Amino acid sequence: MAWARRALAGAASGGPAGGPAGSVGEGLSGGYQRRWETRGEGRRGRGRSVADQSRTSYYGIAPIHKPPWKWLVITYFYLGGIAGGSYALASIAELTRVPAYGSITRAGRYISLAALAPTPLLLILDLGRPQRFHHMLRVFKLRSPMSVGTWTLTIFGGLCSLSALIQAAQDGVLGRRSGPARLLVTLPSRWVGLLGIVPAFFLAGYTGVLLAATAVPLWTKSYLLMGPLFLASALSNATAAIALALALARGTSHRTLARLERLDSVFLLAEAGLLLAARAHLGGVIARPLREGRVGGMHRFGVLGLGLGLPLALQLVSQRYNRSQMGGGGTSRLATALASLLVLGGGFLFRYVIVMAGRQSADDPQATFELTKGS
Amino acid sequence: MTATRGGASPAGPKGQPAQRPGALGFLTDTTLCIGCKACEVACKQWNGLPMDNIGWTGNSYDNTGDLGATTWRHVTFVERIADQAGRRPATLQPFQSNWLMMSDICKHCAHAGCMEACPTGAIVRTEFESVVIQQDVCNGCGYCLPACPFGVPEISDTDGKAHKCTLCYDRLTDGLEPACAKACPTDSIQFGRIDDLGERATERVASLRERGVEGAHVYGDQDVGGSGGIGGLNAFFVLTAPPEVYNLPRRPELPQRKSVRGYLATAGAAVIFGAAAFFSLRER
Repeated sequence: MAWARRALAGAASGGPAGGPAGSVGEGLSGGYQRRWETRGEGRRGRGRSVADQSRTSYYGIAPIHKPPWKWLVITYFYLGGIAGGSYALASIAELTRVPAYGSITRAGRYISLAALAPTPLLLILDLGRPQRFHHMLRVFKLRSPMSVGTWTLTIFGGLCSLSALIQAAQDGVLGRRSGPARLLVTLPSRWVGLLGIVPAFFLAGYTGVLLAATAVPLWTKSYLLMGPLFLASALSNATAAIALALALARGTSHRTLARLERLDSVFLLAEAGLLLAARAHLGGVIARPLREGRVGGMHRFGVLGLGLGLPLALQLVSQRYNRSQMGGGGTSRLATALASLLVLGGGFLFRYVIVMAGRQSADDPQATFELTKGS
Repeated sequence: MTATRGGASPAGPKGQPAQRPGALGFLTDTTLCIGCKACEVACKQWNGLPMDNIGWTGNSYDNTGDLGATTWRHVTFVERIADQAGRRPATLQPFQSNWLMMSDICKHCAHAGCMEACPTGAIVRTEFESVVIQQDVCNGCGYCLPACPFGVPEISDTDGKAHKCTLCYDRLTDGLEPACAKACPTDSIQFGRIDDLGERATERVASLRERGVEGAHVYGDQDVGGSGGIGGLNAFFVLTAPPEVYNLPRRPELPQRKSVRGYLATAGAAVIFGAAAFFSLRER
């Protein structure tokens, strides 16, 4: 009943017309749960005088609808980003032709498939009619990021599986002498990887464009930054996932780990810069969910603090320390693993915060009217 | 097909005659609305829509809330009983006194955000230029909800699919006007060809202004309401107050207009990040 308290507080401080609609409705509505009550946690429409309300909004009711997406879609955004990002990194590591990076490519290929495997299920379960998932494949619409994303996921699923199978054959997991293994080993791994880079990058970044192509103020206002932001986050998560796997595995050289850690720092810096730029561009009214309430706190302490700031500091300190102690190039496994875990946690939280803050901004009439006020 | 079709442009330079002569739609003249909600009831009856929760919102006479999966017409009630200083106004408006009532509905945009977002092709444009969700195709992905700048489609808890006004497609194919327009006792809801209705809206606004309703304007041309690539609305309104008062966005945009530039920015970032990864790893 938090909003009822707010409404009553507003009645006390509101204008002479004051009996705010919300508090009257509360008295009469009894146990009914209505749509507009569940919307707009934290919105400010309630508890104002009627004159004030009519000037600014219609009883605080949201002028647009928010999507029903929650945990399943947030998890998909996260895993899809890791899948695309680690595939791209694996392919890039292979293209450098540095033999020591075979471990990066191997880990990247396997992580990519492992992260990708549950994503179709997540998306299907999120549908209102899951048994109709294949209707997504009856059309291809360039104008719909979700349609393009569906097809990319389908194509990338094939390439990602193929690359992982080639890797498995090279690693001897499929048996040295079996027919499929001998066939797979002959395939040009590097070229398959190069081909897959395009859908991999797309999968890692399109989710930002998908959110930006809506009427939700917090997602669409900074539409140019959303794709790059999700891409940077996906790449930092993927780098962290590969670094974590290699830090836990035996026999990875310190030098390889240090290179990965430095690359992760680059992606984290880009992500932090894009996030802060987007927040500044959104402006006071639209970015309100990122500042206030539970989601705002998660954004500040979880995403910016634990997910970006702390791992960056950890990586910096460990690189400095190791340079002085080990004569350059090395890093401690523990520091790498810890920083990677923080990045991976922060990446999930980042997607949670963006999706939930977007839902809140969709519920806030002021945000929509700010976005659509025109010149 | 061009993007210059303004359903109703009162006097604006962008006002163009309808490019698609077959287009049918609504003119909802809020100065004639008496708030009887016959349109809401007729819509529910004809389309077999279940009731919403029974209860009082306390928001004037509006106990419906907003448009949704089971509410395809929604009458808004704004009681302007106080000015911004909290005083009762000394003069009454020539029309509607200080009540504002508006029967809201799907706008059947010339370029519809919901339709462009739909990844299954469930949302189509009909031969009447209306926008309809095919119920046998929709799989309830929910992307049309945030893609609509007016908050019209909604997923139903009952069947998991998105629903909205169909402009009574079944009635139109039988030569009948939509149920809401048929039921409206004051002709606040007028159904017809978009170009006819546009002219009528323009005349009505001029006449209202002549009679002292200075705030009268059309909502739904390419300047206000059907702006930003939407290309005009096929269901437009004569309003007497700023759009926000009726919970309508003043200058909405077609969301998909941003996707191409969004993709390009992302592709640029991908090239930069990819190059950064390559050179950062290769460096000895």
